[in-house]
Amino acid sequence: MATVSRALRLAATGDADAGAMLEITDLSKRYGSVVALDGASFTVAPGRLVGFLGPNGAGKTTTMRCVFGLARPDRGTIAWQGRPIERAQRLRFGYMPEQRGLYPRMKVGDQLSYFAQQHGLPAKAAKAATARWLDGLGLGDRAGAKLEALSHGNQQRVQLGAALVHDPVLLVLDEPFSGLDPLGIATMSDILRERAAAGVAVVFSSHQLDLVEDLCEDVVIINRGRIVVADAIDDLRAASTRRHLEVEVAGNANAWLAGRPDLAVVEQRGDFARLLVPADLDLAAVLATASAAGEVRRFAFQPPTLSELFMEVVRT
Amino acid sequence: MSRRRAIWLVARRELLERGRSRAFLFSLILSVAIIFAGVFLPTLIGNAAEAQHLGIVGSPPAGLVENVRSSAKIAGLTVTIEPVSDVATGDAELLGGSLSAVLVVPPDGSLPSYVVKGRSNPLLQQVVAASFTQPPQITLRQLEPPDPNRDVSFVFANVGVILLFISIFTFGTWVLTGVVEEKQSRVVEVVLSTIEPRDLLIGKVLGIGVLGLVQLVVMVSVGLGAGVATNRFSLPSTTGSAIAMLFVWFILGYAFYSTALGVLGALASRMEEASNASSPISFLAMGGYFFALFVALNDPSGTAARIASFIPPVAPMVVPLRAALGAIEPWEMAGSALVMCAAIWALFVVGGRVYSGAVLQTGARMRLRDAWRAAGRNG
Repeated sequence: MATVSRALRLAATGDADAGAMLEITDLSKRYGSVVALDGASFTVAPGRLVGFLGPNGAGKTTTMRCVFGLARPDRGTIAWQGRPIERAQRLRFGYMPEQRGLYPRMKVGDQLSYFAQQHGLPAKAAKAATARWLDGLGLGDRAGAKLEALSHGNQQRVQLGAALVHDPVLLVLDEPFSGLDPLGIATMSDILRERAAAGVAVVFSSHQLDLVEDLCEDVVIINRGRIVVADAIDDLRAASTRRHLEVEVAGNANAWLAGRPDLAVVEQRGDFARLLVPADLDLAAVLATASAAGEVRRFAFQPPTLSELFMEVVRT
Repeated sequence: MSRRRAIWLVARRELLERGRSRAFLFSLILSVAIIFAGVFLPTLIGNAAEAQHLGIVGSPPAGLVENVRSSAKIAGLTVTIEPVSDVATGDAELLGGSLSAVLVVPPDGSLPSYVVKGRSNPLLQQVVAASFTQPPQITLRQLEPPDPNRDVSFVFANVGVILLFISIFTFGTWVLTGVVEEKQSRVVEVVLSTIEPRDLLIGKVLGIGVLGLVQLVVMVSVGLGAGVATNRFSLPSTTGSAIAMLFVWFILGYAFYSTALGVLGALASRMEEASNASSPISFLAMGGYFFALFVALNDPSGTAARIASFIPPVAPMVVPLRAALGAIEPWEMAGSALVMCAAIWALFVVGGRVYSGAVLQTGARMRLRDAWRAAGRNG
């Protein structure tokens, strides 16, 4: 299990960056007898897109709510740029809660402008930012419509707009992809990538691990209130002691595997086999065995996917 | 950004969004309709007798015409008086219907006669007769100077309590539903990521309170304007202070009740639970209202009314009523306003904490005690 935190390494080395990040340290919270957070610590640096993963009830939402003062931790600190978060800093953050919600009968434009002003923008700037973001979200012509008159997908866009309209330096999104159609997922991904590229620290939770693997550089995995992984996805995969090996030997129906009983077969169909092997496996020997059996049409040696790593980590 | 600006933004949103809503327009129209009905219905129904036209032949004794006019006014009868040249003309006009009655005063001083076409209007006849006869010379001794405005004050007190109750409860309920709507639509989590729960409640109470004031201003001006324009009543000298009391106690009563309702609203998670959650406060308000109308109105300076003036949930209805009847000491007014302010402050401290604890909880309806404890953890 990879527990070395890339972000922590960053904190130790890059001082300029270290000050500008979200630092969550030793966060603990109980609800009655239920332990929601148990000493969780991780960081999110500017310009990074961090996937925040964990099974249901692991403490993701509680962590996010603590960042916005919606829940008060029993222990631990949350700091931004090295200082404990107060309301003034919080106003520069953007939040998209898991339970979506806006004012149903308020006009879309008025609504975004209102939230922009609540984040500290003067009225004029709020109006301009609203127009800019509505255009950006493809809702430029719906500013005068009441929220409830919009389709579900468009309401989701407005919700994202409410989190973005004040150009936050930290973006926290709880399950931003849930309930989106493929088009919506693409839009959301583009916006998150674009924000991170613009230097915003972005952290979002999701159960769609393939999506996270595509989108994020870093992941934080939380389980039962504890952070079990906080690392760059590539490092995490590389550090894994196991690999997947996919082999296809034409016309052999996987008979060659009989010569290597030490290899664990995950899946086989027809001539195709998917194996779970140690990272230091002697590939040349395996290839030789396979080649002797017939024409090798596929021979792929890959680190495990994020979803496999996730399963490994949360099941232990 | 300052807390004050955050509160102002919340209040402004409530004011604009609700001020433009059909609900507010409907409430305004309804309240104006109620006031109009109150002012004009008695005119239309109560004084069914139509205007009377009295002709006079000959020269009546000095003061008679004035007497007729003044007693007709007291009796609520509209009378026009015109001289008629002779009996024949009078008879013709009676038959033609342009006169209701003709009073013939013979120049020789013999007994006057009262001529009608067929049926006599008894009220007009009485008025004329009473104006005519010389009243017996009885000296009048008054133990207390008469209060010409006693009846008007009574009406003012009565109407004032009704206006206050309607206004306080209408707009208090808006705060209640506003809180539940925010909770039910989950927007509260987005809002509270930038603003303290207590400030959200304060802003909401303020914004909706301004709408309540607007409606009260409309109701009072329409009522007074229509009443004066149609001569239903003339304004007693205490009108100004009575209206001032009405507004002061609307503000105090509204602040108290809307805060309490907002806090209880936070305990509910759906609109269907809201009326259930708010029922204790509704009962209190109803109790105060009926106490004011049935106890305090009858005996405004009695012990019960005096004590009630210092009980915050009841005082907003009782104190302005006693003031309109002139049955309250200045120190009592000041004292009860102070007690009221203290109660509002305490409610905000306690209620604000309960609100903070409850407004972010979803799921089943919360109990007060749980919300209080939750605030200790979250707030």
